[in-house]
Amino acid sequence: MDLNYTPEQQAFRAEVRAWMEAHVPKTPLKTLEGREGYDQHVEWERTLASGNWGMVTWPEAYGGRNLDLIRWLIFEEEYYRAKAPLRANQNGIFLLGPTIMEYGTDEQKARFLTPMAKGEIMWAQAWSEPNAGSDMAAIRSRAVRDGDHYVISGQKTWSSRAAFADWCFGLFRTDQDSKRHKGLSFILLPLDSPGVTVRPIRQLHGETGFAEIFFDEVRVPVENRIAGEGEGWNVAMATAGFERGLMLRSPARFQATAKRLVELYRQHEAHASPAAREAVTQAWTDAEAYALNTYMVASTIQAGGHIGAEASLNKIFWSELDRSMHRTAMSLLGAAAELRTFADGAMNEWLEGYIFSLSGPIYAGSNEIQRNIIAERLLGLPR
Amino acid sequence: MDFRFTEDQITLRDSVREYLEGTHTPELLRKLDEHGNRDDGVWNGLVEMGLAGLLVPEDQGGLGMGLIEATLIAVELGRANVSEPIVDTAFVAAPWLAAKGQTDRLGDIAGGALKVALAHDVNPWVADLDQAGAVISHGKLADVAASPVALDSVDPLRRLSARGDLGGGDPLLLDLAALMAAAQLVGAADRMLALAVDYAKQREQFGQPIGSFQAVKHHAASVAVKVEFAKPVLWRAAYALQNGHARGSVHISHAKLAATDAAIFAAETAIQIHGAMGYTYEVDLHFWMKRAWALAGAWGDRAFHLKRIDDAVIGGGIDLGPDRTFASEMIHA
Repeated sequence: MDLNYTPEQQAFRAEVRAWMEAHVPKTPLKTLEGREGYDQHVEWERTLASGNWGMVTWPEAYGGRNLDLIRWLIFEEEYYRAKAPLRANQNGIFLLGPTIMEYGTDEQKARFLTPMAKGEIMWAQAWSEPNAGSDMAAIRSRAVRDGDHYVISGQKTWSSRAAFADWCFGLFRTDQDSKRHKGLSFILLPLDSPGVTVRPIRQLHGETGFAEIFFDEVRVPVENRIAGEGEGWNVAMATAGFERGLMLRSPARFQATAKRLVELYRQHEAHASPAAREAVTQAWTDAEAYALNTYMVASTIQAGGHIGAEASLNKIFWSELDRSMHRTAMSLLGAAAELRTFADGAMNEWLEGYIFSLSGPIYAGSNEIQRNIIAERLLGLPR
Repeated sequence: MDFRFTEDQITLRDSVREYLEGTHTPELLRKLDEHGNRDDGVWNGLVEMGLAGLLVPEDQGGLGMGLIEATLIAVELGRANVSEPIVDTAFVAAPWLAAKGQTDRLGDIAGGALKVALAHDVNPWVADLDQAGAVISHGKLADVAASPVALDSVDPLRRLSARGDLGGGDPLLLDLAALMAAAQLVGAADRMLALAVDYAKQREQFGQPIGSFQAVKHHAASVAVKVEFAKPVLWRAAYALQNGHARGSVHISHAKLAATDAAIFAAETAIQIHGAMGYTYEVDLHFWMKRAWALAGAWGDRAFHLKRIDDAVIGGGIDLGPDRTFASEMIHA
């Protein structure tokens, strides 16, 4: 056990810090979940790409820096320290990118990964359907083979980023006689294809980050399928593993929130309850615990280990921590918590954050599903 | 940066775990409970394993290991619910005496001939004083005067004496003992979860094991989350104390807090999963539950450690933020 950074790791931190200080926008961008803010965030993705900071863990051949996980953590720490914007490219970086690297052909890698790394194409998820949420194997959207094309019909929903993104990736039923997780295929398609209708869904905060996608006989070339026909479920499970695994939510994000929460407490100390004070201290301890655990898992993976169902522990921990920290902030703000914009014109980021934190225990596999996974796969309770 | 144990550390832990699983069984706990709660054979077995001298330097008859190894083993002692004063003697008194340069009795500790009790103002009592050959009190190793067991702990395997004039406020003694209490609490929490899971696999209602019901699964999963996230905090605290970091006390308080919360939550959930059986003396669970209640208050209760963290976090004693996780390591370097 050695919890010191090497001189090389410290030098890397200094390099990231210098770049972030020079490039992070001085004024916060508008929300990622509205048209104007989305465009600003895509512009930021291209700025990141220009410095080669877009996909730091990817191989250099695809526009990355081939960083190990410890350096990825350092990068994230500096990213959040610099208050850099949220990642519009999240779906590409952490979900589709690793999936294509693992399952894609060389042709697909060349075709999709480089534009993704450059921030040229933004990706939306197309997993859930109205009757296939937690029960994803109930997918009904069809992809019927017609020569060298699939003809896709059906409906997807809760598609993150779909309101503004360029392409989507998801699961479609290619074997019409199949049931459950058999007969599904993993297919990519442009959202401006003829027959695609995107209907933005207005979210809890009033903006439109996700959307419904309707497919009416959309023709998609067979070469847009990742891995074999009917192998989509395994590919999707790997993708879901990336999502709730180590990288979806880096500890730095929550440590930054915990620090802001301590600062908020100091401003409101005069009227804060003892319970709020304890919750603030607890926020720091839990964010710290999440960081320590991530360093431990990263060290293990780097030494050849792997993360399996343990990822579900992470997902529960960070999502419940995030909600708890924002709930505490709302309590500290008291009557001002309901304001969308404070009297000085500043946006009430705690309110926005609280609303967003309520989605954490739901997306990327609800925490109920995660608890089932922990009980069955880690503790060995019967299915 | 490498947050992992060495293979030697894992091997050592596994061998202790295996030994305790084979010898320190629930049947033994019942026997101890019925017959005055101590058995020389248990102590002698731990000494033969080398545990008494684990932290004693090699030139004084010990194994010369460090607090990381001791913490790993203290978790195992908590998992097995060992009641002998091995943790207090070997993992707290020995490193404390070595740090203070009071080395003349370390050989006796390593050989298993001397059991040491610990007196500190943070505790209103002293554990195992009745069988100790010496006690750490007011900054030195002192002889033990007559010390009848005077206080009745809820834990049937724990023996407490009144503190009297013994005590003192030594900060290193507190940190070492709080770290080791946290380790035993983590081990106890792990074991209580395992007991509950075993029971849920066996007990059938509505024609199936109760562990197949989501209501039961989710209880167990929530405990697993709490326990697993206490562990890295514990390891880090051991590392910080081992390396003499300035922020070590905050990390130890964090470990004690996280371990206490995990163990109490594990206890309450495990009894719920056991149903009415959990409320009986017949089921093994109660030994660990009662140990957890006892250790939760020992060496600084929840409020004590929360305040130490609070003073640092809200009071500004430590740096906050995403780039400061290993700040004390950076200062140390």
